Amino acid sequence: MRIYEELFIVKPDAPEEEIDQFIEQMKTVVANAGGTVEKVEKWGKRRLAYRVDKFREGAYVLFQFNANPESVKEFERRLRVSDLVIKFLTVRIDETLKRLEKRRKDRDKRAHKRAASAGSAGTPQPAMPAGETPVPGMPGLPKEGSAA
Amino acid sequence: MAESKGRPGSASQRPTGGDKAVATQKKQYFRRKKVCRFCVERIDDINYKDVKLLHGFIAERGKIIPRRISGVCAPHQRRLSDAIKKARNIALLPFAAQI
Repeated sequence: MRIYEELFIVKPDAPEEEIDQFIEQMKTVVANAGGTVEKVEKWGKRRLAYRVDKFREGAYVLFQFNANPESVKEFERRLRVSDLVIKFLTVRIDETLKRLEKRRKDRDKRAHKRAASAGSAGTPQPAMPAGETPVPGMPGLPKEGSAA
Repeated sequence: MAESKGRPGSASQRPTGGDKAVATQKKQYFRRKKVCRFCVERIDDINYKDVKLLHGFIAERGKIIPRRISGVCAPHQRRLSDAIKKARNIALLPFAAQI
């Protein structure tokens, strides 16, 4: 199972009920294929950066779901066949999310370490000269922290 | 260190050159050191949906601004250009804008 993000543009002249109906339909497509829909966002009408099928604006809809690669194929086929949708983009985001999560964790850890070493710098190492303390964040400090 | 060892002379041609005064024979001018905005502001996620952010990195005509001008670091420029290209595909950004 992978996490995907699907952004598609619906014709601007499509009635609201029809869009909602289509969204529901797509939700069942994902559910039938054994996936789960995480979130659906309607951005509303926006100006397009360039003309698509003679339309200058379109209603954006964002899907985020968990699914197998095969079911994404089916999802895309549905979008292609549909008369409402003029453009779509599928992006696999599970690896990006993982990377972001890792970066956030690393950053937190580093901040923690820095705070800890800055707080304890006065007490356990009184032998250290006073001039050394105001340089937290320098490359030398984390090394000390990992050694201790 | 490794850079200067590998390619001597390349350091002076690097786009994000130093903030030292560059003295030529005729006139003296200062070049401010460029910094990567994503590194400074700690923007981890360069998302293709964030049109407002990406807009700052495309030129009037819709071209991606080279990092020699914007000062973005290589890893971030890579992600940035990916994001801009995705955004173009879904009509959030233009391929070529009229002016």
